Amino acid sequence: MIHLQNVTKVYQTKVIETTALHNINLEIPDGEFLSIMGPSGCGKSTLLNIMGMIDEPTAGSVTVAGQLIRDYHSKATARFRNEQLGFIFQSFHLINELSVIDNVELPLIYRRVSGKQRRRMAEEALTQVGLSNRMKHFPAQLSGGQKQRVAIARAIVGQPRIILADEPTGNLDSAMGNEVMDILTRLNQEQGATIVMVTHDETMARKTHRLVRLFDGQQVSGNPVKTI
Amino acid sequence: MFSNYFKMAVKVLGRRRFFTGISLFGISFTLMILILLAAFLDAELGAHQPLSDRDRLVFLDRLIMKLEAQDTVYQIDSTLVEGQMAYDSTPVINNRNRSYSSSSLSYSFADQYLHDVAGAENHSIYSSMFNYDLFINGKKLTFEAVYADEQFWEIYDFQFLEGRPFRQEEVENEGLVVVLTEEAALDYFGTSEGVLGQYVEMDGKQLQLIGIVEELSNSKGFLSGEAYLPLSLANPVVLNDDSFHGPFEMVFLAQSIESRATIKQDLERIASQVAMPEPDAYNTLVLMPADFMGRYAHSLFYMNDDPERSQQVMFIVFGALILLFVLLPTLNLINLNVSRIMERSAEIGVRKAYGAHSQHILLQLVFENIILTFIGGFIGLMLALGMLYLVNDSSILPNTTLRFNLPVFVYSLFICLAFGIISGLLPAWRMSRIQIVNAIKQNQL
Repeated sequence: MIHLQNVTKVYQTKVIETTALHNINLEIPDGEFLSIMGPSGCGKSTLLNIMGMIDEPTAGSVTVAGQLIRDYHSKATARFRNEQLGFIFQSFHLINELSVIDNVELPLIYRRVSGKQRRRMAEEALTQVGLSNRMKHFPAQLSGGQKQRVAIARAIVGQPRIILADEPTGNLDSAMGNEVMDILTRLNQEQGATIVMVTHDETMARKTHRLVRLFDGQQVSGNPVKTI
Repeated sequence: MFSNYFKMAVKVLGRRRFFTGISLFGISFTLMILILLAAFLDAELGAHQPLSDRDRLVFLDRLIMKLEAQDTVYQIDSTLVEGQMAYDSTPVINNRNRSYSSSSLSYSFADQYLHDVAGAENHSIYSSMFNYDLFINGKKLTFEAVYADEQFWEIYDFQFLEGRPFRQEEVENEGLVVVLTEEAALDYFGTSEGVLGQYVEMDGKQLQLIGIVEELSNSKGFLSGEAYLPLSLANPVVLNDDSFHGPFEMVFLAQSIESRATIKQDLERIASQVAMPEPDAYNTLVLMPADFMGRYAHSLFYMNDDPERSQQVMFIVFGALILLFVLLPTLNLINLNVSRIMERSAEIGVRKAYGAHSQHILLQLVFENIILTFIGGFIGLMLALGMLYLVNDSSILPNTTLRFNLPVFVYSLFICLAFGIISGLLPAWRMSRIQIVNAIKQNQL
């Protein structure tokens, strides 16, 4: 479960102060597939980053998987992030110098997992996203949809409870976007993963359980789209 | 984890080949220079023939005579008293040098005062170089000749290619014999083989060649000549000159390394007890002994009759050279590493998002630098071996053989490793502290 209470994020420079998020209260139960929508610059990605503990709120509290996050830079938080969260980014963020399987193994190298086991888990994750035949390839040899599937494999290889996806279909055409969405839906339905997805695409958002809308850093709706 | 780091290191090195090339050049070139420098210093300053006992040697090639007298100088002080400048003078009594004369020793001084020096196991008196013109087959040759006693060959273990050194009876009885260097024999006879027993005409005398020694490097000029003759063959005027200055020097073989201090102390005592022949001209005698390093430095950097000062200057010059060769590549590497690492912020951000903490990032980046350093170290080793071969094969350093020195290679590699760690640490530390969200915003991976 993710619980945000009165979360505010203010970006401050010498000249100007910008409120990216204002007093957000949100509760996401285990197993929910939640989408966040809103116009550009409304704070969607900031909200996702705060849930993922890769950005700090200016005020308010964040509880993830029952743990109140206090120190965003500690080793314990890094380990917690490694074990509990998986990230999917709009521009994939694969490491071009590493092969597909080495990219997928990335979260596991920061755990005490043997090389053999890492390889086995990465192969399983790639099989889940239908890329078992591309393990030795490098990111530059893949299409956009394939890259995003590699990114999904990397997000799920460590079997996290929560997957945070920042516009996972944003850089893909509709066919590839649907493919990625199908994988996410399957992960949610079959493995019970909690998924929070930022999107601009209403059609994709309607495939999730609940849609939260933001406008100017404030939550303007949080209606269920369908029951879990 | 390290296999992942290693893969990444190799890939990153391949990504910016130009920068990688510059970094590798910096490391390998530095290593090569350090190895060459060490080989050169070892060849020059190492305990090799004829200076195998160099650590027990005390050289004496400088005798200083001074006239010291007290002198009164008035120091003028000024101050303001009730708006008026007032002056006062204070007499200061100084010990001032009025006359100063510095040169090598005369044979008679060395013979009279320096045969029995405490701490010395052996000693030798030999001359500086005397130049002689020789004519052979219409060709003029100039040989530098050293007149020496028989102990010269005991203290300096010259490598004899053929024959033998001269003996005590030959030194005492003006034996008409000579030892030549290989090159001198070659110049004179046209060959250096099978010429023992033949005669060399020098200084109006027919001298029988009894030995041929290996050539010394030019930098050991304080020791090297082309011909070595018995001391008794030197000009009697020079030998019998009873003034203190002359064209001779001495070397003492100390009983132990520590005994060198005893020899120096005793030389100081002797100098203080010698009765000056003309006290009105010179009333103080100073002997300036030197260890091997001081003597060597003194022949390179002649600093006011003071071998210790020359040695300091030599260490400063060599130290500055080494520092220059170590410091410049380090700064270059730090600079390159900063830009190389900073452009990887997005990758670092992703790694941190997936659970890497600052220490992981620091370790990874420093590890990559160490890999780079070892590759550079290997190239540096190959370059150094190649350069050693080329230098030895050419005549850049005549009569000097540079040898590969394993400890120096290990030390140099250690220095390079320190470069790798130091030059990678600062940018890596900065990058490890970067906020994930800011790092990820850099889209380039």
